[in-house]
Amino acid sequence: MESPINYNNPLIMHIDLNSCFAIIEQQANPLIRNKPVAIAAYNTPRGAIIASSYEAKALGIKLGTNVRDARMLCREVIVMTPDPEKYFDAHRRFKKVLQNYTDEVTPKSVDEFVVDFSGSRAVQLGKSLEQVGHEIKKDIRDSLGEYVTVNVGIGPNRFLAKLAAGLNKPNGMDTINGENLRDTYSKLQLIDLPGINTRYRARLNMAGIYTPLQFLDAPASLLKKQVFKSIVGYYWYLRLRGQEIDNIGFSRKSFGQQYALGQKTADIQELSRLLMKLSEKCGRRLRKAGYAAGGIHLWLGFENRTNWAQSKKQKSDVYSTQDIFLAAQRLLNSLTLPCRVSNIGVTVFNLHPVNPEQLGLFDDSRLDTRGLAKASDLVNDRYGEFTMVPAIMANMGDTILKRVAFGSINDI
Amino acid sequence: MREKINEEISVVMYYSARKRLAVPYLINWQNREYMVGKIGYRHAIREGQTLHHIFELVDKENTLWFRLNLDTSNLHWTLEAISDGIAN
Repeated sequence: MESPINYNNPLIMHIDLNSCFAIIEQQANPLIRNKPVAIAAYNTPRGAIIASSYEAKALGIKLGTNVRDARMLCREVIVMTPDPEKYFDAHRRFKKVLQNYTDEVTPKSVDEFVVDFSGSRAVQLGKSLEQVGHEIKKDIRDSLGEYVTVNVGIGPNRFLAKLAAGLNKPNGMDTINGENLRDTYSKLQLIDLPGINTRYRARLNMAGIYTPLQFLDAPASLLKKQVFKSIVGYYWYLRLRGQEIDNIGFSRKSFGQQYALGQKTADIQELSRLLMKLSEKCGRRLRKAGYAAGGIHLWLGFENRTNWAQSKKQKSDVYSTQDIFLAAQRLLNSLTLPCRVSNIGVTVFNLHPVNPEQLGLFDDSRLDTRGLAKASDLVNDRYGEFTMVPAIMANMGDTILKRVAFGSINDI
Repeated sequence: MREKINEEISVVMYYSARKRLAVPYLINWQNREYMVGKIGYRHAIREGQTLHHIFELVDKENTLWFRLNLDTSNLHWTLEAISDGIAN
């Protein structure tokens, strides 16, 4: 079970765009460069800030701050709402640059990539990964714009590459290998390690582990049996030593949409309208990916900060927007609202490919909603999203805007 | 401050065969001409099957930022938004 530190040549590169959304906005608008810029989900006093420029971060305007507090910290902060299409475009350009070096490019989020250079021609020709890193920085500036900078981290595994990428922000480049591993850990705190949150830190502290070096020196059995009480402890043991255990791809398990209500409401009719729009967005993604679902999950958040959630497996496949909406509406009807709703989310799960298609009893009859879904998708593909919508969604306009997911970016 | 405009405007566009690049050169908005300075970002979006090119740029004097939308189905230009780069 004991494993040595990995002294192999580090060939994993982690690259992340500095202050992604804010820096892309600063690239697009030269008049806001070198100024505090904050991207907020909504430009209202309680809207949460989802990204801020380095100038704003220096003033204490960080992720999660609300717009009112940000303006109290700095009256000159420029608050903007997100422009997802622009960020997706930047993501695609970013990816294209990296794919010029190797095919082994894995997006981790809209602004983060992991590149495995094990089979890369550039490295086989004798280039060092630091040289390649400098070239990538230049290529990204050429492709996205001169104001865009990235952090590059190089390591023997994904964990150490990500850790290296965070050592010197912005525009940094660092390498962690077997030789400087202990020295690097000695300058950090537990909370600086990616994946170690305050709860994990508390667990480690309980076992007498207070520093990354003590974490590194802890025996695998202690981490597995006492600290994490599961195989997760052994994974940490390997990860800290530069052994790769995170190169696992996850297949899609669900499609979900959620919405934070600007105006909290307990009006069932209004909630049904929102539910229909969420179902339509969810259904469009489900059908585009070629799946049908076997279950629905509905989640509500209330103004008193409590939550309610319920899942239900369906007897027949869920495919059309109507199928999703009806199943979610049934779940909603089963609940007595304790107070006004502040958040609502719909997820479809138990996904399976729609081909081969399971024939249903009502196929080709008036009760078959698949044909309608396919026809309405064709109209919306041709004339734009929400051109053809169920009547309940009439006049909803821009309610529930397109958003950028923090993690998965499978749909880009 | 950023302001939504959504107004059709006149644009002179320039294409360089050497650089293989087509960019707006001059904008006429509210009877005033603005020479295009730096192009900050250009990206394309689809609305259904229609492709739109979005240009975000500043005038030569660096006083105003413009967000222009070229609808490729009819080659009409829309000024979507302007900004003076000052907090709202």
